[in-house]
Parts: sequence; C-alpha cells; structure tokens
Amino acid sequence: MSKRYMGRRILSVSVAAALALSLSACGGQNSEQEDPVAAETGGLGAYDETLVCNMGRSTIANPKFPEGDSYEDNAYTRYLKEKLNVEVVDSFEANGEDYDRQVSLAIASGELPDVMRVGSRDVLTELVENDLVADLTDVYEEYASDYIKEIYDSYDGRCLDEAMYDGRLMALPGTNYDAAPCEIFIRQDWLDDLGMNIDEDGDMCLTIDELEEVVRTFVDKDPGNTGNPVGLAFAPYLTAGDYGGSGYTMTAIGSAYQAFPGSWLMDENGQVYNGSTTEGMKNALAKLAEWFQEGLVDPQFGTRTWDDITALLTNGQTGIAFGPWHLPDWLLNNVRSMDPDAEFSAYTICDENGKVNVIHNNACSGYMVVRKGYSNPEVLIKIANLFFDDIVNDKNLEEEEPEVYEYITTVDNSARPIQVELNKNTYLVDEYSDIKNCVEGNITMDEVRSVESKTKVESIKRYLEDPDNAEVADWSSYTSRMNGMGLIDHLTAADQFEWFSPVFFDTTKTMETNNADLNKLQEETFVAIVTGSKSIDEFDTFVEDWNSRGGEQITKEVQEAVDAQ
Amino acid sequence: MVQKKGIFSNIGKGAIYLIVFLLGLICLLPLLNIVAVSFSGSAAVAANKVGFLPVDFTTAAYEKILGDDQFWRSFGISVIRVILGLVLNLVLIVLMAYPLSKSKREFKGRSIYMNMLIFAMLFNGGMIPTYIVVKNLGLLNTVWALVLPGAVPIFSVIMVMNFFMGVPKALEEAAVIDGATPFQVLTRVYLPCSKPVIATVALFSIVGNWNDFFSGLIYMTKVNNYPLQTYIQSLSVKLEDMLNAGGSLSSLVNIMDVSSQNLNAAKIVVSVIPLLMIYPLLQKYLITGIVVGSVKE
Repeated sequence: MSKRYMGRRILSVSVAAALALSLSACGGQNSEQEDPVAAETGGLGAYDETLVCNMGRSTIANPKFPEGDSYEDNAYTRYLKEKLNVEVVDSFEANGEDYDRQVSLAIASGELPDVMRVGSRDVLTELVENDLVADLTDVYEEYASDYIKEIYDSYDGRCLDEAMYDGRLMALPGTNYDAAPCEIFIRQDWLDDLGMNIDEDGDMCLTIDELEEVVRTFVDKDPGNTGNPVGLAFAPYLTAGDYGGSGYTMTAIGSAYQAFPGSWLMDENGQVYNGSTTEGMKNALAKLAEWFQEGLVDPQFGTRTWDDITALLTNGQTGIAFGPWHLPDWLLNNVRSMDPDAEFSAYTICDENGKVNVIHNNACSGYMVVRKGYSNPEVLIKIANLFFDDIVNDKNLEEEEPEVYEYITTVDNSARPIQVELNKNTYLVDEYSDIKNCVEGNITMDEVRSVESKTKVESIKRYLEDPDNAEVADWSSYTSRMNGMGLIDHLTAADQFEWFSPVFFDTTKTMETNNADLNKLQEETFVAIVTGSKSIDEFDTFVEDWNSRGGEQITKEVQEAVDAQ
Repeated sequence: MVQKKGIFSNIGKGAIYLIVFLLGLICLLPLLNIVAVSFSGSAAVAANKVGFLPVDFTTAAYEKILGDDQFWRSFGISVIRVILGLVLNLVLIVLMAYPLSKSKREFKGRSIYMNMLIFAMLFNGGMIPTYIVVKNLGLLNTVWALVLPGAVPIFSVIMVMNFFMGVPKALEEAAVIDGATPFQVLTRVYLPCSKPVIATVALFSIVGNWNDFFSGLIYMTKVNNYPLQTYIQSLSVKLEDMLNAGGSLSSLVNIMDVSSQNLNAAKIVVSVIPLLMIYPLLQKYLITGIVVGSVKE
C-alpha cells in the first residue's frame, strides 16, 4: 500500500466506519433467503427462467465499446444471457474512486446490488460483520470448475485465505500474480554508440557498481546530446508498495540491500517489522545519498514530478527508467515516438551474491460479493467458470463466438460482468513462453494459450519484419514482452529470485489514524537524506520518531493479527 | 478632494497598472497554456516543450472530441441543467427575497424565517442523508437530482434581499396608491429596478450549475447520465493515483490513451467556451450588483 493512496484510504475507511453506524438502521431488510430459480446441473448449467442479476459495475473512462454497446448490453453480457440465461442489470456504474463511493452509498441506503465488486478488505470485513453478504463456501465447492480451483491453488491458498472469515469463504477474491522484479530499462542504442557491454556475464542483472558505471558514463558523455544530462531520476515519493507502482522509484536499488520499504515482513524469530525501518533501508539510502553528492542522481530530486521525469526521458536527458515489465507499453512508447532510434534493454539489480531479492504481491486484488438473501448465489461462480475457464480455454472461440473473440482483443476487460481477474500465479512466465516459442516458430498459433498472447505474437512479428519502420505500438509489444517479460522468465529459469513474503497487507486501527503522518515523515526524511540536507545517521532518529508516532503501536497490532492467523 | 498631479502620483498610477496587469497575466497565462497544449502534438506535450504557443500544431484532439458521443451527450445534459437550474433558482430567489426584504412590522415572523435560512446556510444534512432523500424520492439519474438540492441558494437570497431593501420605499407606495397588488409591485417595480443584482445571481447560478461535478458523481449511477464536468473529471484521473491503486497493465494503457494531456486540455477548452460567451454579457452588471446590494436606505 503506497502512501499518498493511504490518505484516501483512510478517508474511505472512515466513511465506511461512519456507514457501519447507519447499517443497523438501514440493513436487515430483505435478509430472508429468496426462492432460487431452478437451473440445469453443473458449473455452467443454464437457468430455466431468466435470472435477473443486479450488479454494481466498476467502469473505466474509455472501454472502447463498438457502436451501440454499453456496460449493460455488450458481447459479454449477451453471451452470458445466451449461455446461462442470466440477465445483467446495472444498479450503478462508476469509475475508480467514484465506484467506491457508490458502494458506500449503496451500503448506507440499505439496497445492495445482487453482485458487486468491493475493492478493499476493510469494506468486505464491514459487510461480513454486518451479515450483508452471502457465504460462498458451499457453492464454490460445488460449482467452481477444476480449472478455476487450479488457478486459486497456484497461490497456495494465499489468495482464497484473504476472503475467509472463520473458515468460510465470504467473497470470490480476484487474483494478483507476482510481477517482480522492478526492472531497469536502459537506452541500448546509447550503450551501443558508446561501445559499452554492461552485462558481460549475460545474467541480465547489474550489481550496484555496474549500474553506477552506466550512470556515470551517461552523465559524462551525454549520449542524448542535450547538453544537460541527468543521471537517475526518481519521483519524490521514492518508494512503492508493489511492483505495478514501482515506476521511477528506488525499489530495484532497495532490493539489492534487501530493503522492502512499507512491507510488513517477519524475521526468523517470528517478529514482524516494517521494511522502511531496516538496516538495509539505511544502506540503500546511504548509497543514493552518495550518488546524489557525485551528481549521479537528479539534482532536482524531490521537486521533479512524474511528468517532469517522463519529459527528461523523452527529451533524451536521461536514458534510464525504473519500473514494472510493462513500462514500454504505456510510458517508454513516448520516448520511441519522439526518437525513432530509441531502444531499451531490461535489467534488474542483484545483490552481492547475484540474487535478486523480491517480495510476493498481495495475492488478492478485489473481491466479488453476493448480497445475502439473493436467490442464486452460485451464479457468481458460474460466471467465473464462463469467463475464466470456458472462454479462456475454448480453442475454437474465434469461429464459434467471433463477437466475444473480437471483444477480448479490442474491448477493455471491465466490460465483463465479473470485475476481478483470475489468472495463475505463473501467468507472466506462461505467457512469455507461449509468445517466445510462437515467435521463434517452435509452436503454432493454435497452441498459444491466451487470445491476448496471440495478438501480441502478431504484433511482435510485425515489428521483427521491419524493426526500423515499425509502428510504435509494435515496438512496445516487442520491448515489453521480449525484454521485460523475458527478464522475468530468465530470472525464474536461472533460479535467481530470492523470494520474501510480506505477512500482512490490511489496515489496522492505528494505521487508519496515523499512517498519513508516518508516510509523510518517511517521505520527507528519505528525500532529506538522499539530498544531503540530513546526514545518513539521522535515519536512526527517523526510526525512533516513526516508532513513537504510532509505528510501534501499529507493529504490535500487525503482530497480533499475524499471530492470530 | 483636489490633488496636484505630480510625478509621484503618476508613478503610483503606473505601479498600480503594472500590478493589475501582472495579476491579469497570472489569470490569463495558464489558460493560454491549456489552449496551446490542446493544439500540440502529444509527444511534444509529454516532453514538456509547450509554452504559450502550440508545438507541432494539430487539431487531432478536437477531432477526437467531435467523435466522442458521450462528450456531447454530457454537454447537452449540462445545458439543460443550467437552463432548468437558472429558471428555478431565479424564481425561488426572488419569491423568497421579496418578503424577507420587508420590515418586521410588515412581515410578522420575518426573523424566524431569516434564522431558518441562516441555519440552513451554515449546517446541512451531509452527503449520505441527502443522497438517501434524493434516492427515495426517485430522483437518481434524472436532471432533477442535480437541480433540486441546490434550488434555493441562500447566499443569493440574502444578496437580492439586501438589494430590495435599497429600493426607495416611495416607489412602492406610489404603486400601491395606483392600485397595484403586492405581486405587481414585485414584478413591475422591484424587478425592473434590480437588474444588476438579478444578473449577478443569475451568473452565480449559471457558473455554479455548469461547473459542479460532484453531484453528478453521486446522483448519476450511469456514465451516460453524467453532466459535462463530471464526465471530464472522470477522465482526468492522475496517472500517479492509478499507479498507487495497483497499476495493472490494462488500466495504465487505458489511462494513457484517454488521459493524454492534450486531449484533456481540448476538453477543458471546449467546456469553458459557453461560460466565456456568457461572462461578457453579464459582466457589466456584476460589480454594481454586488456593491449596490450592500448599501441600505
């Protein structure tokens, strides 16, 4: 959980808490079980009469629907109607945070939709404690297909456990596969011009010293010819909660020192601690401060915003960007459109022993819940079967359901009437092996498992035919898949990952009140240490402050919560 | 007071003009930048190269807006809302302000009503109770949900009331002697005298209704029904917030697609055009409206 986001979270949590008070007044109605609509047996059994399902739908601004289609009426909902005889009626549709607000309003007014997504575990807990959502334990056992169970099993229970209360499954959690590590994208065309081979052993990992060498050369030689080269540029918040949000952060550098700021980890004695307060964190900051003194870190660090850093990259003032494997798809493509010669190679940073230290993501992302008393709670599981097993594993989808196939490739996933993602934890590596093998001609297009991979294979082949004149989008596909994903595959195959498992992802009581303050303290102190306005010795003072301003209490609460599991 | 026009007063005047000019620039330049960004190529915008003149001039962003059905649907909803809100606001403001402008002797219980108004101005039901009321009245997803909760802008009522108090009593007495009913006194005597303040509160109402995005977020449960500012707000999600919320690939690609800076800028430009057109028409009343309303007989 990252920090600026936390402020909002606190707000939403407190709104939820206020709502809980009103729940006793508003809830309770309609809680008796409605009569189920009969259906054929099996995980995809159609209903005898049309089952109306009122949903809360989390939307995005630009779903790219074909003319005339909407969230309520699109290829997916029509397919659902045809296959299961279920009709989707939207109780509300909203974007991002506005969706969370609609959920709060629905809870407050006592009229929950039959099926909806809730984003955070706090809201789910609220719903469970007030007995507003249906117990899905039995319907999951009975209806979930083997493939769906296989998906959840790939997380060793880390995912389903997040939706368990007293051993009962109260929601269908979305999965969130591991996306480690934080990668470093370096301008390969510059390296070539300078005649540098930075990765002589070919393990796709740089040590801290090797990275320093690259940065120093870039700053000295100014390969972008801008007259004003900048070394490593970081966003002012410097750290990130997960790899998806690790763009322009020090996550990769921290990992070389086994520093995982913000994550709750457990030492060998079973004591939990926060990754921001460790010796490793101090060492990582010391290194950055040293680089700042030598001019290897952006002299304007602390005031340079995200957009400013993107401008540095596109202008050619810097040629090094930290971020997740898919950075080329949405960010580095800007660089390529400004400079058609731009090429990026992906690396990551290893520690002294050649290991890449990474943490597991929170295995769970979002929850689908069914209103307590709804006539057919199993419909949620059936929908999951349909969209994450039946469609995904249908080899002939393109011929049988051209409309749905078209949707998978062009329309945003939020159009699906189930708004979590279910993917195996090995998703990235599986995808990569399909793409790579197909691009190299080892397997045929039919053997590629997912529709998305197929379109990527086509895109990459287009790029390889004529790399110099290829479309930027094809270049992005190539760079993110073959370089970005390729790095993950390489590290997995070479067994170079050293995994750490955070033990706690939720929000405790004191976090609600103190996290905003603690995060501000951390952000300010880290920036001050790196820029040299505080010496590295003040890190210890920071840890003391952090503890006295609520950190100690939070650690105690997390310890209790973890011990109780 | 007669003052000798010396060199100092000229310098003083010059300084004042300079300060006012600079203040004007501070207001104008960001707008110019937005206009320039909206006509620039997206790569140039990403590279922070656009100042006050477009770089790589293109109208691509505007062409994209022209093809965006939802933008125009929302535009229409906003226009309807402004017209409806304006009529409703003006009628209720005038009908409320007129009796309140009478003395306690003429209007018994005036202070009770006045206190109720002021109470309601300072305290309100809060978001969730208001939402529940609107929902149970069946107003969700209708334009009434946007208009009715703000139908009586109390601040404007007080302004108009003060203005009415400033209208000479003699005018009313003359009308009454000529046999005018109270309603005629209001429409034939007071309203024609009060154009400045009416124009002022009308402007407040138009700007308020046009710019409000929050009620659209709450009371509209489908994007189809969003008024314009709500729609624009829902598009301008900040990338950093997306990253902090998990930053999945598809959501990031999507946000880069719709939230490109020059497209957003073009939407802002289009959305302020109606206000830019109305302002000059009402501006001449604006200052007199506020100042005169504050002077009582």
